[in-house]
This record gives sequence, structure tokens and C-alpha cells, in this order.
Amino acid sequence: MTVKECYEQMHGDYQDMLERVGTDGLVERFMLKYTDEKTMDTLRAAVNAGDIEASFNAAHTLKGIVANLGFSGMLKAVHDLTEQLRPRTEAADSSLMQKVEEEYKLVIDTIELYRNSKQ
Amino acid sequence: MKKILIADDAEMNREILCSIFEEQFEILQAENGEQAIEMIEKEKRNLSLILLDLLMPLKTGMDVLEWMDSNKLIDSIPVIMITGEASTESDVKAYEYGVADIIYKPFSRRVVMRRTLNIIELYEHRYDVEKKLEERSLELRIAMKQLKRASEKLAQNNDFLVNALGSVLELRSLESGQHIRRVQDFTRIILNTWVELHKECTLNEEDIEQIIGAAALHDIGKIAIPDDILCKPGKLTNEEYEIMKTHTTKGCELLENFKQEDSDFYHYCYDICRYHHERYDGRGYPDRLEGNSIPLWAQVVSIADVYDALVSPRVYKAPYDVNEAFRMIHAGECGVFSPDILECFDTAKFEIIEATEMVDDDKE
Repeated sequence: MTVKECYEQMHGDYQDMLERVGTDGLVERFMLKYTDEKTMDTLRAAVNAGDIEASFNAAHTLKGIVANLGFSGMLKAVHDLTEQLRPRTEAADSSLMQKVEEEYKLVIDTIELYRNSKQ
Repeated sequence: MKKILIADDAEMNREILCSIFEEQFEILQAENGEQAIEMIEKEKRNLSLILLDLLMPLKTGMDVLEWMDSNKLIDSIPVIMITGEASTESDVKAYEYGVADIIYKPFSRRVVMRRTLNIIELYEHRYDVEKKLEERSLELRIAMKQLKRASEKLAQNNDFLVNALGSVLELRSLESGQHIRRVQDFTRIILNTWVELHKECTLNEEDIEQIIGAAALHDIGKIAIPDDILCKPGKLTNEEYEIMKTHTTKGCELLENFKQEDSDFYHYCYDICRYHHERYDGRGYPDRLEGNSIPLWAQVVSIADVYDALVSPRVYKAPYDVNEAFRMIHAGECGVFSPDILECFDTAKFEIIEATEMVDDDKE
């Protein structure tokens, strides 16, 4: 499995990422790093606690991260959630959160699949 | 190696930024606004650039900018704001706080690198220019000071020469050694009073100083008068008096040897030398000028000269009392002066008498 195939599988934009980061090696490095990234946990905790401000902050941070990684599919879902939270009037919409979870799972599973294919 | 600060709460983002800059820069990292402020406070201008995330815990990017603004660091350390989305409102606010640039996520390696290098270069250049300007203005200030000192020195030397010249004259004519100094003192008092009374008068402080200097030379032409006339204790014959009167024109001839057409000082000297014996009624000498065709400074030195002659002892007379001297001048017993000059003279009476007494004290 190549990094490019990996990105295709998780609805990512490999070409854009490659252009921004420079080399395939760096794309791979950052992609693999993402499995250690904890912002998704922060978001879940905030949403479960019903903390709107913390939910927005976490969603916003997550959005920046996945944007930088070129995870376009997940970015779209996180973006929608962020915008829903932005007015700070309602707690996270469960269907939007659900969508984020789905995309996140796809990203993590795909990266793990890639990692295993390398071993 | 230049130092930059990356302030972003997401480690992932810091890492991506680090990967861009780690080869060319020493990198400091802050994961929230508070840490960022601590590091900026510690490093100050050691930081070549700050990459600042907008939304951070504890203190936000805006808080950091506000802090930098109130600590006057925003103009010396460039900040590139990194933000998740383009919002005109926050962009405008960031620019108002003085950020150098704004970069949106997702950012591209090459764009971030290029802009960063450009901005660092720009700020360094600006800093250099400012430093050079500062040095330059310091040099200018020093030069101004030297110039001022030189001109003070020159004025001092000028004063010295004028006094020396006057002394030569005084020694020869056996006049009181203080006459020139006193004529200058009275001239100063009367002129200052004149300027106060006549708001339309355009003489400034420098002009007055020059006129006072020129007043010292009012009798310079006496150098050309033979000793037997100049130092004669008794009354002069008509013939001798005619020769004596030429000290005005002889003084001018002397001055013409050093003619400086464009120098105010020269013209003051010339006018005072020539016209200090003219009378307001046109019956003075050498040119029988009338009224205010006699230059103001010549009128002023004239009355100062007459007054001093009256209140000073001379070989042929005792000094008059100051009040008597004022009366005689008003009565036209020793020259005729314009009503304006007389008014000014009266206004300055107290100061003039005070100065007269001070000179008397000096002599004791």
C-alpha cells in the first residue's frame, strides 16, 4: 500500500498534501503521527460533558490539524461541526458528531492498515 | 542561527511547522498563549519571528498580540498569524494589532517558508534603517552642539575684538574707560524697552545683540582726530570743532575698508558711526538727516551717548545728577530727539538710573 493509496482510501487529498509538505516521505511521517494526536479525545470529552465552549475549541483545533494533514473527508465533517458550534448556543449536534466519528474511524483504520502493510 | 517561536496548541501543527523550519532556525515552541508571552518576554529581540495560532487555551493569540502591543514589541518582532479560517473581522483586528502577515490553514510549506523569510528580512532591514537613522540623528545633534559652541566662541571673540578696539580709543581720548560699556548698557535697555513699546518693531534678539556690539564702535572715527584736538582740556575753537565732527565720517571711512555689504552687523556699525550725532530736527551732523530718516539704532545710541556724557565726569565738567540729565535731554539742551525716543527713554528711566548707579558702584 502506498501513501497515496492510503489517502485515497480515507478521502484525503494526497496531491494537495504533497504539494504543501514537499515530499512523499514527509506526507507519510505526518500521517503516521496522526494516530498519536489527542485532539479527538478532547473533543469527545467536551461533547460528552456538554461543554459548548470546550467543544467548539476542540473542534476548531481539530479542524486546523486535519486541514494541515490533507484529510479532506474528515475536514468536511469537522468543519460542519465547528460551524454548528460556533455561535455557542447549542451543544454538539449528535449526527454531525457521528459523522466526525465515522470519518475519524476511517482515517485511523486506514493509517493502521498502512502501518501493518509496512511491517 | 536565528530563533523563531512557534505558538500553537496543536502539537501536530507545531510539528509540521518545525519540519519546515528546523534546518534553518532554532525553534522555540509554546503550546498556549501564556507560555508564548513568557518566552517572548524572556527572548525579546532575540526572536526573529513568531508564528502565532489564533485560538489557544489560557491566553489566545489575540491576548499575545495585545500583550506585545502594550509592551512595545509588536513593531520590532514580526508576527505571522496562523489561523484556521478567513474571517474578515479577526483578520482586521490582527492587522490592527500589527501582525506582519496572516497565513491560513492548511498552509503550504513553500508559502510559509517564503513569507517567513521575506518578513524577517523586511524587519531586519527596517531595524537597520532605524538604527542608522538614530545614529545619524545623534551625529547631527553632536554637530549642532559643536556648531553652537563654535558660534558662541565666535561671538565671544567678536566681543573681545570690539572691546579691544574701543579700549584703544578710550585710552587715546582720555575718556572714562567705562564709556563704551555704559553706552552699550543704555543702548540695550532703551532698545529692549523700544521693542516692548512698539510691537510692530521687527528687531529680534540677535539684531539687538548686533546693535549693542556695533554701539561699541560709535566713536571709532576719533582715532583719526589729532591728539591736540581730541585731548584738549578747554573749549574747542570753531575750526577745531569742525575737525572733531569729522570723527563720524572718518569712522565710516575706516569701516569701509572692511565693507561687508550683506552683513547686518556692518550696516549697524556704519549707521551708528555716521549718524549718532544727527538731530531729529535736522540740525545735526554730518548729513543733517531729519526725523526718522535717522536709523533707529543711531537714534538710540545717540541718546545713550548723550546721557552718559552728562552723568559722567569729564576733564571739563563734573557729572550731572541723573534727574538733571533727564531734564536737560527733554529740554533739548544737548541734542534733539524724536518724541518716540524720548517716550521710550522715560519709560526706561528707572532701569537706566539703576544701570547708571551700578556703573558708579563698579568704579569704587
